[in-house]
Amino acid sequence: MYKKIDLSMEFLGIRLENPFILSAAPPTDEFDIAYNGLKAGWGGIILKTTSVEGNSVPLKYPMMSSFGSMSRKVIGLGNIDLISGYQIDEIEKRVKTLKEVFPEKMIGASIMGTKKEDWQTLVWRLKKAGVDLIECSFSCPQGSMGEEAGRMLAQSIEATEKVARWVKEAAEDIPVLIKITPQVTDIVEVAKAVKRGGADGITASNTIPSLLGIDINTFEPYPSLFGKGAYSGLSGPAIKPITLRTIAEIAKNVDITISGNGGAFNWRDAVEFMAVGASNVQFCTLPMHYGFRTIEDLKRGFAHYLSDMGFNSPLDIVGKALPNIKSQDELPSPKTLAELVEEKCVGCGLCYSACFDGGHMAIDWDSEKRVPHFDEEKCVGCAMCMQICPVDAIKMKEKIEGSNSVYYFVEKR
Amino acid sequence: MEEIEKTFSKEQAAIEAERCLYCYDAPCETACPAHVPIAEFIQSIRTDNLKGAREIIQEAHPLIETCGRICPEESFCQSACTRIKMDTPIKIRELHRYITDNTDPSENLELVPATKGKIAIVGGGPAGLACARELRRFGYQPVVFEKKQLGGVPANEISATRLPEEIEKKEARFVHHNFVSEVKDTTIKSLEELDKEYSAIFISTGLSGELNLDIPGNNLDGVYYSRELLKRAKSGAKLPHFKRVGVIGGGNVAVEVASVLKIEDPLRDVEVIYRRGTKELKAFKKEIEEAIEVGVTFQFLAIPKKIEGDKRVEGLVVTRAHLGEKDPSGRRNPVPIPNSDFVIPLDAVVIAIGQKADVYFPKVERDAKGLVKVSDGLMANVKGVFAGGDIVRGASTVVECVADGKKAAQNIAKYLEGGKNV
Repeated sequence: MYKKIDLSMEFLGIRLENPFILSAAPPTDEFDIAYNGLKAGWGGIILKTTSVEGNSVPLKYPMMSSFGSMSRKVIGLGNIDLISGYQIDEIEKRVKTLKEVFPEKMIGASIMGTKKEDWQTLVWRLKKAGVDLIECSFSCPQGSMGEEAGRMLAQSIEATEKVARWVKEAAEDIPVLIKITPQVTDIVEVAKAVKRGGADGITASNTIPSLLGIDINTFEPYPSLFGKGAYSGLSGPAIKPITLRTIAEIAKNVDITISGNGGAFNWRDAVEFMAVGASNVQFCTLPMHYGFRTIEDLKRGFAHYLSDMGFNSPLDIVGKALPNIKSQDELPSPKTLAELVEEKCVGCGLCYSACFDGGHMAIDWDSEKRVPHFDEEKCVGCAMCMQICPVDAIKMKEKIEGSNSVYYFVEKR
Repeated sequence: MEEIEKTFSKEQAAIEAERCLYCYDAPCETACPAHVPIAEFIQSIRTDNLKGAREIIQEAHPLIETCGRICPEESFCQSACTRIKMDTPIKIRELHRYITDNTDPSENLELVPATKGKIAIVGGGPAGLACARELRRFGYQPVVFEKKQLGGVPANEISATRLPEEIEKKEARFVHHNFVSEVKDTTIKSLEELDKEYSAIFISTGLSGELNLDIPGNNLDGVYYSRELLKRAKSGAKLPHFKRVGVIGGGNVAVEVASVLKIEDPLRDVEVIYRRGTKELKAFKKEIEEAIEVGVTFQFLAIPKKIEGDKRVEGLVVTRAHLGEKDPSGRRNPVPIPNSDFVIPLDAVVIAIGQKADVYFPKVERDAKGLVKVSDGLMANVKGVFAGGDIVRGASTVVECVADGKKAAQNIAKYLEGGKNV
């Protein structure tokens, strides 16, 4: 009964029905699951990273763990997964079948190798099978199979450039994405190496090396395999701010197409990823947690946002926030004061407590009326009180000296 | 008998605790008469530090397992919860009970030696026990005079469906064992009966009498008083065999006795007969809901006029009422509707219209209702004699009595130590 949502767009010459892609991960590892994901309405898929025949993939279980609170159990999801146990002989068949069943969807595949010959063989065979896009995993935090054992490929500038070149050489007109890690000293240098290597784009980024937790009674790490555990790759809402920074830094400094990945959990996150430079957004933890049905809210929320904002295409928002992202020393220096929206205040006193013990002792507390009073002399405008106000009753009033214009900083949640 | 209300699961508690804002200078704590540090114990639930949470509550209140079950939270902490301004208040009593149900009383106690004087505490209910515990913490030797089981109304009258016996026994025993120097199994009715060895006296006898309903037929067979039935039920004795019973009254005791009667025999028809309307009921919301759940019915706007019967109760004549002006308590008064009498056939009537003080301690000044008159510091007209709980307030709650006990202890110490801070 409603008009069909049109979120179609071009990505590296491929038509996408919408910008929401299933990333190379468990939801794209089994044929039937991948099939169901595409059928549910996701715009495209990148099949879980494959390798050449004979490569052993020693997966260990349990592989998942998480952290969060009781009401929101998964804020961060960890895995000690490796690449797919299915090798290129199986994956080339799947690419062919999926392309036949879903000719309108982007069917991509992720690859990982060690030698030049392996990388290029993988590319040739996928190309022959009709793949739309090739993603190269340079950043699996666990059990890297790069040239240097124990290190991610994307942590070496030289290796990144060299392998990107091998892959693109074999791929020719098929677009190539290099999936990098934020775990480097300078992400811009890595992105430049990708570009020098000739790849078409960057997937920014991947899970982040982490340790999910320790059982405080047995001192065993999570996930625990007979009492022993390893570092996990962290995904989910916890890493969204890190991914945003990664995308933004690449987009501001290197002219290359970006596919956003890592921590997007809803359409709002997707808008943010795109606003800092991603052309589409990959998802994994969201469908793993709540299923492929989550695509419905992603599409509808995103479409309403675009029309409310007056945009015509998803691509209209790509990079919109970039001109506003500066280094700290380039920022203006307004005189800032906390301001209370009295009708919203519920009188919890948290702002008083935060300012008294962690700010500038700039709030007086009327314990009779349960209202905070901001001392304009002492308030430096740090915005700590605004962060912890449970009802968003505090905003920051900013003024530039010698000017009449006033600016308010409020965070919309 | 099984408890009606179930304790929170870990998941329920965690999610409810997460809703708490952890207010600074938390208004729930101010609203709690015993000033239990609510925001602090909820913070400890959040970190799954239940032993720590228990210690926080136990520090402020001696009868926490009892209060976790029967406190009318909507009148105190929850009515002040900041979240009311956002959505709904935190379920504080349930969180409190979640802690007490999942921990043992903290034995991690360190007390100063009991080197100070003996204090006589007459009555071992919530006020008396709270006062004794506080005095012992200050170094006094509290001696409690109590003929019945320690614990007062909760221990001796409140139904096991709301407060299992072993729970309040355990709790009273814990206070007895750790904080009371001696319990004397005697009833004290005048100050003279107490030796000079006591430096001060705290009267916390509660309300032992029951108000009579002054209508014809109130002496027939089959007319009972609510508290004697509650005590019999609590002691495990069978209640008299009757099939259609009317409970007259609208307070907690009326609702409680009705529930007890219905639970004991579900085939028994139990109706609460009340002069005013639903909104005027004095009983706590939770108790009313539980009574309706077990099958108690309510006859509102019915003024008892006469109990009918030859030797035994055969029925109750009531006059239909409508609601008129508000009385000083803010509740609307029932006004009889002319020629509207009707008969409710009954084989038993339970009178539950309120309690009164038995007038002991002749030298201690009382008001018209027989309640002890006290100063702000809870001292009666006789120097060194303090009083608190229901004997001062009239029928009240456990938490208010505990608050009185604590306050009296502080003032006793102040009185004995010449205004020094204690």
